Amino acid sequence: MFTSNPFADLTIFFSPLVMQVYIVLMILLVAIGTLFDMLHKGSARFFVRQWRRSRATAARPLSGMDSAFLAAGTLLKEVATSGEFCNLKRRISHLLMFYGFLFYLITTIVMVFVYPLPATPTPAFLPVLWNIGALMVLTGGYWFFFFLRVDVAKEGHSPFRLVQADLFIVSLLVSVSFALIWELVQTTGSLTATQIVFGIYMLFTTLLFGSVPWSKFAHMFYKPAAAYQKRVEQANGSSNLPTPADVNHIVR
Amino acid sequence: MALFSSRKTRFVDSDILIIGGGFGGCGATYESRFWGRNLKIVLVEKANIERSGAVAHGLSAINCYMGMQWGENQPEDHVRYARNDLMGLVREDLVFDIARHVDATVHKFEEWGLPIMKNQETGRYLREGRWQIMIHGESYKPIIAEAARKSASEVYNRIMVTHLLMDKTRPNRVAGAVGFSVRDGNYYVFRAKAVIVAAGGASHIYKARSIGEGVGRTWYAPWSSASAYGLLIPVGAKMTQMENKIVLARFKDGYGPVGAWFLLLKAYATNAYGERYEDARFEEIKALVGAYAEQQPVPTCLRNHAMLEEIKAGRGPIYMQTQEVLDSREKEEIGWEDFLDMTIGQAVVWASQNIDPRERPSELITSEPYIMGSHATCSGAWASGPEDCAPSDYQWGYNRMMSIDGLFGAGDTIGGSAHKFSSGSFTEGRIAGKSAVKYVMDQAGAAPQVDEAEIKRLEESIFKPLENYAVDRNEIVAGTVSPSYLAPLQGLQRLEKIMDEYAGGISTFYVANEPMLKRGLELLTMLKEDLDHLGAEDLHQLQRAWELNHRVWTAESVTRHTLYRQETRWPGYYYRADFPKLDDTEWHVFTASQYDPKSGEWHLSKLPVHHIID
Amino acid sequence: MPTFVYMTRCDGCGECVDICPSDIMHIDRTYRRAYNIEPNFCWECYSCVKACPQQAIDVRGYADFAPLGHSVRVLREEEKGMISWKIKYRDGRIKEFRFPIRTTPWGSIRPPADYSAPDATSFESSLLAHEPEALKVDTLPTLPPSLKNKV
Repeated sequence: MFTSNPFADLTIFFSPLVMQVYIVLMILLVAIGTLFDMLHKGSARFFVRQWRRSRATAARPLSGMDSAFLAAGTLLKEVATSGEFCNLKRRISHLLMFYGFLFYLITTIVMVFVYPLPATPTPAFLPVLWNIGALMVLTGGYWFFFFLRVDVAKEGHSPFRLVQADLFIVSLLVSVSFALIWELVQTTGSLTATQIVFGIYMLFTTLLFGSVPWSKFAHMFYKPAAAYQKRVEQANGSSNLPTPADVNHIVR
Repeated sequence: MALFSSRKTRFVDSDILIIGGGFGGCGATYESRFWGRNLKIVLVEKANIERSGAVAHGLSAINCYMGMQWGENQPEDHVRYARNDLMGLVREDLVFDIARHVDATVHKFEEWGLPIMKNQETGRYLREGRWQIMIHGESYKPIIAEAARKSASEVYNRIMVTHLLMDKTRPNRVAGAVGFSVRDGNYYVFRAKAVIVAAGGASHIYKARSIGEGVGRTWYAPWSSASAYGLLIPVGAKMTQMENKIVLARFKDGYGPVGAWFLLLKAYATNAYGERYEDARFEEIKALVGAYAEQQPVPTCLRNHAMLEEIKAGRGPIYMQTQEVLDSREKEEIGWEDFLDMTIGQAVVWASQNIDPRERPSELITSEPYIMGSHATCSGAWASGPEDCAPSDYQWGYNRMMSIDGLFGAGDTIGGSAHKFSSGSFTEGRIAGKSAVKYVMDQAGAAPQVDEAEIKRLEESIFKPLENYAVDRNEIVAGTVSPSYLAPLQGLQRLEKIMDEYAGGISTFYVANEPMLKRGLELLTMLKEDLDHLGAEDLHQLQRAWELNHRVWTAESVTRHTLYRQETRWPGYYYRADFPKLDDTEWHVFTASQYDPKSGEWHLSKLPVHHIID
Repeated sequence: MPTFVYMTRCDGCGECVDICPSDIMHIDRTYRRAYNIEPNFCWECYSCVKACPQQAIDVRGYADFAPLGHSVRVLREEEKGMISWKIKYRDGRIKEFRFPIRTTPWGSIRPPADYSAPDATSFESSLLAHEPEALKVDTLPTLPPSLKNKV
């Protein structure tokens, strides 16, 4: 079951073109949503202003090469290894969700665009990776949702107390959960059940990508930009933070 | 929390319960464990012991250290100093007791890792003044908290204790305490054989000088919410010297410390015209307080008085001439570290107002009044003194036990023992800890019993503000104005206004009289009644509601004591306009009060001041 | 001078929520990041500022009396036993300071129960733990009986 392309079996309901258009729409929604969010909040202007201030008060102006190295460092550490997290559990759960989502997303796109029909057999590794990705998202995600969310872990709130900040994680978890539920139900052969479950999957997937201006989704763009900015400020001396001490006062 | 909440009741049983994880409480925890190896010792704290209490920032000096090892001071000297500073009225037995032990506490602090500055020439601790030594104290509290964590059986953070529990089988004996978790809203019932209260004294009883955000920058921590007194008064503990309010002369707005500036760096204060005004006012002060004006060092309140008179004469602002003394990088570092180790807000004032202390003087001002027992005043519980030193009517068996059996105290909680500061409060905690262990061993087999009905009644009372808000919120559309409930902040603002206007706050230059105090009591009575109608939106507001409750009880006690003492003993702290002079004939005594929970009556009396040191 | 949290640096770890002595650092509902819910109960103790692993918390002096354009920032390095301050004046002047905070490793305090148990004599006496040795004088001072009864 996990080795067959679940999207190919959907073609009894819709043509591959419909699925492909949907995916393109979702990508557009994210792009438009992020742009709208930035315009509406003025965050682009804020980032530009910060960048200008940093350059103006820089004690050690950076060359193009310096900046490139800092960008590479940001990509390698903060982006690729979720390096910003100090708490190990949160870092691991984020890595699970991040890479899990990437596998799940990329394999979805490949399966829908390259192997859309049952007639074109899908290499087994693709649906396997799709399932692994989904399971990684759910492992990291449910762990985060029930145990690691700071308002639950530190403020004593019940995990079921939902606020706007939970829009992203809830829509992600429900969407990916129903992806797997749909895959399972589809194999039973019941057409009605498949349609219903697939419908719920689509609803929450659309919610996930459509709610970008109101959810924490856009952090995937803001966080790396902020991490890069932080590195720049430290490197060019414009940071108003003290430098680390080079003495150790503790007698061991 | 919803009406149908999942609130649980958690019972915590122990041999010794320590309420408050500040310096007093951490000292009590350490010492209880040393003497009671097999006892269950529970420490409960409203916040997080890592940084809770008045020493959250850290400190730049330890203000109570004898230096007996170098023959610098003897405990009797400290008694004379504290007595002089309090215009004759201290519990000399308690002060002596702390002074004789405090050096050991400080030596342990150093052993634990507190960096104490050394005098380069002599190798001794660097003295700020006769009683004070300089420390690099940014991590003073985390170091102490580590010692407490290694001593307690259990440490409960984020639990606010709201009431003490009394023994239902024996009268006048404590059985534990109740409170709630600020995080999950569960009800906590602590049952213990001995209880040590080492909670905070009172800030925010009087209106502050600042108005908006600035209200947070009180001299004494905003989280010192008078639980030291608010827990004790309603169960009938005997209190003393509650009229002994403290007013501090500090750097304006930031309330940064002046000790190192005056004592170590030898800076001085002038009026706005550069004139040194204190000496000029000697004769007029002597007319008020007689020979007390001749004491050296000049008592703290009298120095305040001189500053106030100068300001009233229109010759303010008062300035500390910092630029006169910062003639080296080393001195500049001492001046800044003084703030950065303990009142960072003052450094922020300087940075924001472009004040470089090497270039220009800084304003000084007298603060709003506070109530506490560990600094230059000694309000608090009347407690039994040390068996080997105390006069017979100052002791009833267990050192630092209050008028209630099994109830001990340390730090701001205990009255009469002024000038203990951080090291002295920790030391008093140690004293109380050992006493509590003795008490528990002596009482073996006769554990106190809590009353089930009382526990239920208290649970309802504790969570009522949440209920009030949830239900009465339905009456209005939105906003903060409700005819049916009071937000904790609204109640606090009313309290501060009452005390300011009627009980000697800044707006009257600390002056009160009998008609004012009686009017204040009228208004306090109505506020106390309104406490039943506090509305708390969430657990944080519930904490604020109970902090207000403890403050209101304390404020009433302060007002009654101020009314009772018919003299002006400490001009500069407060004045009775109707009794403007010091009166040793009638009032060389401690004031004492006890609230009777059954009748609701307050009983005030005088207690003798014994001078056991010449 | 109350605290505020930088949006770009806070990752919602909750260390500040844990440490605040005033219980005023809490989590925002839209971003799940920290903010100061009650600046008028902020003492500027800097506990949260020092505790934040991302240095996401800063202080802006109380609006009552602190003009804008200043900053007082800190780096507390527990492992080195050091604290460093960088103060920027409104007029641009910078002052920097470093001070020690501890001389012994964190976690190294000897628990009181590790010491040999006290005997009955010291239990009955007025001595506290580690006395008289920790006093660095021979005996604990007391008052002669005549003084004690003098009233």
